[in-house]
Amino acid sequence: MTVSEPLTSGGPKTATGPPILELVGVTKRFGGLLAVNDVTFSVQKGAIISMIGPNGAGKTTAFNMVTGIYTPSGGDVRFNGQSIVGLPPHRIAKLGITRTFQNIRLFAYVTAVDNVMVGEHCKMRQNVFQSMFTTPGARREERAVENRAMDMLRGLGLERYADTYARNLPYGLQRRLEIARALASGPELLLLDEPAAGLNPQEKVELMGVIAQLREKGLTIFLIEHDMRVVMGISDRIVVLDHGEVIAEGLPVEVRNNARVIEAYLGTGAAGQSEPAPPAST
Amino acid sequence: MAQSTETVPAGAAMRSAGLPVARLRELSALASRAFPIVVVAALILMVALVALRSGGTTAAAEVRNGLTIGAVYALIAVGYTMVYGIIELINFAHGDVFTLSAFYALIFSQHLGFDISGLGASGAGGFFAALIILLVLTMAAAGLTGMLIERVAYRRLRNSPRLAPLITAVGVSFIIEGFLFATQGATNVRTGKANWLLGEAVKVGGVSISWRDIFVFFSALVFMFLLQSFVRFTRLGKAMRATAQDRDAALLSGVNINRTISATFFIGSALAAAGGIIYSVKDDLIVWNLGFRFGIIAFTCAVLGGIGNLVGAGLGAFLIGLIQVFGGQLIGSAWDNAIIFAMLIIVLVFRPVGLLGLRVPDRA
Amino acid sequence: MPDAEVAHADAPDIPAVPEDVPLPATASATAREESSAVFWALVVGGLVFVVAGWLLPWFVEQTANGIGFSPQDVVSSAPTGIGTVLVYVIGAAMVVLLAGVAYDAYCTLTRRGVPFRYSRTRAAVALVGAVGTVVVCVLVVSREEPLFGSLSPLATGSPDNAVWMTLTGFTVLTFVYGLRDWVSAHGQVAFAGIVFLIGALFPLIFGQSQSFIVWGASAAAIYTLLALGLNVVVGFAGLLDLGYAAFFAIGAYTCGSLSSSVHGLHFPFWIVLFIGLAVAALFGAALGAPTLRLRGDYLAIVTLGFGEIIPDAANNNLFGATGGPEGITGIDHPSIFGFNFGIDARPYFWALLVIIAVVILLLRNIQRSRLGRAWAAIREDEIAAAATGVNPVSTKLLAFAIGASVSGFAGAFFGAELGSVTPDSFQFAVSVTVLSTVVLGGIGNNTGVVAGGILVSFIIFWMLAHLQEWLGTFGNKFGLPTLGTIDYSRWVYIVYGAILVGIMLLRPAGLLPSRARKVELQSGTESESLAAVQGRA
Repeated sequence: MTVSEPLTSGGPKTATGPPILELVGVTKRFGGLLAVNDVTFSVQKGAIISMIGPNGAGKTTAFNMVTGIYTPSGGDVRFNGQSIVGLPPHRIAKLGITRTFQNIRLFAYVTAVDNVMVGEHCKMRQNVFQSMFTTPGARREERAVENRAMDMLRGLGLERYADTYARNLPYGLQRRLEIARALASGPELLLLDEPAAGLNPQEKVELMGVIAQLREKGLTIFLIEHDMRVVMGISDRIVVLDHGEVIAEGLPVEVRNNARVIEAYLGTGAAGQSEPAPPAST
Repeated sequence: MAQSTETVPAGAAMRSAGLPVARLRELSALASRAFPIVVVAALILMVALVALRSGGTTAAAEVRNGLTIGAVYALIAVGYTMVYGIIELINFAHGDVFTLSAFYALIFSQHLGFDISGLGASGAGGFFAALIILLVLTMAAAGLTGMLIERVAYRRLRNSPRLAPLITAVGVSFIIEGFLFATQGATNVRTGKANWLLGEAVKVGGVSISWRDIFVFFSALVFMFLLQSFVRFTRLGKAMRATAQDRDAALLSGVNINRTISATFFIGSALAAAGGIIYSVKDDLIVWNLGFRFGIIAFTCAVLGGIGNLVGAGLGAFLIGLIQVFGGQLIGSAWDNAIIFAMLIIVLVFRPVGLLGLRVPDRA
Repeated sequence: MPDAEVAHADAPDIPAVPEDVPLPATASATAREESSAVFWALVVGGLVFVVAGWLLPWFVEQTANGIGFSPQDVVSSAPTGIGTVLVYVIGAAMVVLLAGVAYDAYCTLTRRGVPFRYSRTRAAVALVGAVGTVVVCVLVVSREEPLFGSLSPLATGSPDNAVWMTLTGFTVLTFVYGLRDWVSAHGQVAFAGIVFLIGALFPLIFGQSQSFIVWGASAAAIYTLLALGLNVVVGFAGLLDLGYAAFFAIGAYTCGSLSSSVHGLHFPFWIVLFIGLAVAALFGAALGAPTLRLRGDYLAIVTLGFGEIIPDAANNNLFGATGGPEGITGIDHPSIFGFNFGIDARPYFWALLVIIAVVILLLRNIQRSRLGRAWAAIREDEIAAAATGVNPVSTKLLAFAIGASVSGFAGAFFGAELGSVTPDSFQFAVSVTVLSTVVLGGIGNNTGVVAGGILVSFIIFWMLAHLQEWLGTFGNKFGLPTLGTIDYSRWVYIVYGAILVGIMLLRPAGLLPSRARKVELQSGTESESLAAVQGRA
């Protein structure tokens, strides 16, 4: 199968209703450095949106602002219509936005299944005293959470590694585990930061399959990615950032032919050329 | 802080999310900006209260006292702030290097026959020569001690989880204190400088300012000035600042990180030694666990001024010195420690970056 | 929740990992490695007891000419009869044991299989050793005069102690070695069993004649309890608390205020314990709430300051409630169901053993629950933990408060045990002792912490205190009399510092490490705190 064709069966499932995520005039300054400048776009529920752009364009900073690790210097971020600016990261996770990281941030000396169980932390009810005295309610909850975590691992082909420390897993499986952990709390919006980095072509195809399946379950996916084949193959819409500003936004085929985008990636002068050849299929 | 273009809906949305997060952020931003003013105002109030209660002379005398003890704190505080700025470690052993240098000075002066009694303003030349030699020797000895500590105890743990170097620092502090305790005993030791710099220099508004006070205060200023110039204008100073800001970038620019860090420890410890000598002149009594108390106080000064900021350390030190003496006047000197601890908590709660600190978050 | 079975027509199935790919090490494998570390610790401990017991009269007991008694003296002074017979039986059994160890080593080195009957022999030896010890214990307890005679009117102790030590060591060795496979697999349980068994028995031996030993053991138990609490803060949550003694003081003074003649209040002991716990927890929460938002280093310095001002405040007779430098005296001793503990050391020690066992159980339960996982998460990677839904501040605060409450509980017990509290008992040295215990034993590992508590108490309170005496006797024997002139007890701070630095540089995870923490502490991967990234200092 040629991977230049989209794997998904078309646009977002639901094009109506409020966007699940909106960035409105979002700006971030670090001292004198303007990392993100007046970025505005929105993500529809059930869509797969990719954010691309040269290195240092401010993509991860934008992610960090959505997930609460940074506070915007200006502008607003809205989730299902509600502003989430100023909320701490764990509250945002509880509201339904979870993420993976560019350089995998698993809990290294924690087993795979425990990693996933941490994902359910914000949905669990037991308090300290119930844990201390292992009340029947607490024990029931533990069992249920563990079963769900095992199901999650099974769904991603990881059940054999349940008892392994996360750091001992091969790289590709670590990426899967990180996704499993992010899914454990039942989020509505999943942010993936360069999920294909370091994967071989086979693994990239598997990843695209995973993402497509997740969209089938009703998740909205927002990813940062550099690999154009993955981006073009899976996205419903693409946002392009350069030097902290949105320079293009739209369907993959629109973005691919956008002069400013080509210029940002290839430099001035390239924009004057005709449409570049489609990427070779693997 | 967040300056949303649509603050009303944002605030309303967050309140409907059931959190007073917006209010809390606004309040803490406000507190942070008001903090320096509040501190100065509180200090002025304390001075006024003391003046009312015990008279203007007492108040003025306490200003003198606060500034002289603050001078000692300043010289120790810069060591803490430099080391924290460059490797983000609270060097618990630093306060003990201060005490240790006072003992070094004692040993040097005994072996070199510096027990020059009665050298006041007369014989100034000889006195200053002796002082310079003592300073150089002690500062070098302390500097080497500091470098040794870094090399042996901290270097290996530079990239370890936070806990490891902190525990090691406490351990080193205890080794030094233990050594002093085992060799010098639990009681105060005279440093033999009781007769240095006798005599009153000037009387200002009924308050007697001795040569000693002038010496203490101005030595601290001189050293701070020298340090600031060093850091500003020399290559090593620039290397230190670069390493403190972004270690990897400094490395890529050709800075020898190990040597820079060693130099930082050397300079910091040397200044603590200067503080030790100045303190011995001022108070003449040292004891094995002196550095423990002074260490916490000096670190509080560094935090108040803004950790990583040299001028801030000095400023914080003088402020804390004044707060300590005036607070002691108002509620009794047995509560000195509690006052300083309360200052620490207040700074950390309301303005953790300190008065002059500008900590800019890294790009993650 | 996405469940695994539904597949989209266009999307490829997620292939499972091929079966022939070898699995990396699992967590249970590392757990077994941890257990075998405990096995070796028990072997070493047993050997130390045997050797020390054998040499004890030599060093400890001074004769008229300043030279100690030899083991021969001990044996020959025993009245003929049961004592001598037992000594020779035990001696023989030890020879058999050592032969067995040598044989085992030989088999391992030459890779011969061990014959089946051999492991049964080992188990039988273990049984014989255990029975023999029990018999000796019973005899020692039931007899009025020492079982093994007395050495001379000048001797300060009796050979009973020495023989008991040797015997205990021997029993531990036979047991551990005889049931080697089981112990290697269940190290923590074996350790706990041995420690609690010895703990339960030894006050019976020494309780009447030499109660100071039981008081010493009580002190060791209090330190162990404190270390278990500090381990929650340092080991489970990865925070450095340098003022742990402050919460200890708070618990003790609470007890003093509520059940002594000072205010005329006489709350029952068990209630006071829990009030002390609660008050300390409140202080912990109050101190932690502002500080835990910031970097870990700040918590260290803040707790250091707190640890300074609490004894200060007590010394200054804060609100007139703390009694100044003399403290509070006349605190009621505990009484359960009408039995008053009084000034007999033994009930305190046994109560502490029970308390320690319960605390370990409760802490283990927490570790395996939602909170325990949250602690592991923020320790490993605070930013990722926050992004996954863990609230770093409240998680750390819980650890800090739980640690404080254990300390407060111990403090209240301590107050009732001692009958009085003074500011002197709560200085910084106490905090450092507890920290050294945790660091030495094994950060994050309850078994390690208990071992650390025993070891530190042993070294500091027993060895260091008597080192001058012993080296004096030793020096007299070997013509180096100056060894006995140095006051080694002044080296105590150096020893603490050396323990902290030495362990951090050489073996950061402690003597009985939790394997995961061991690699974590040695691997040199530092993860930033959320506060640092957000620029909140």
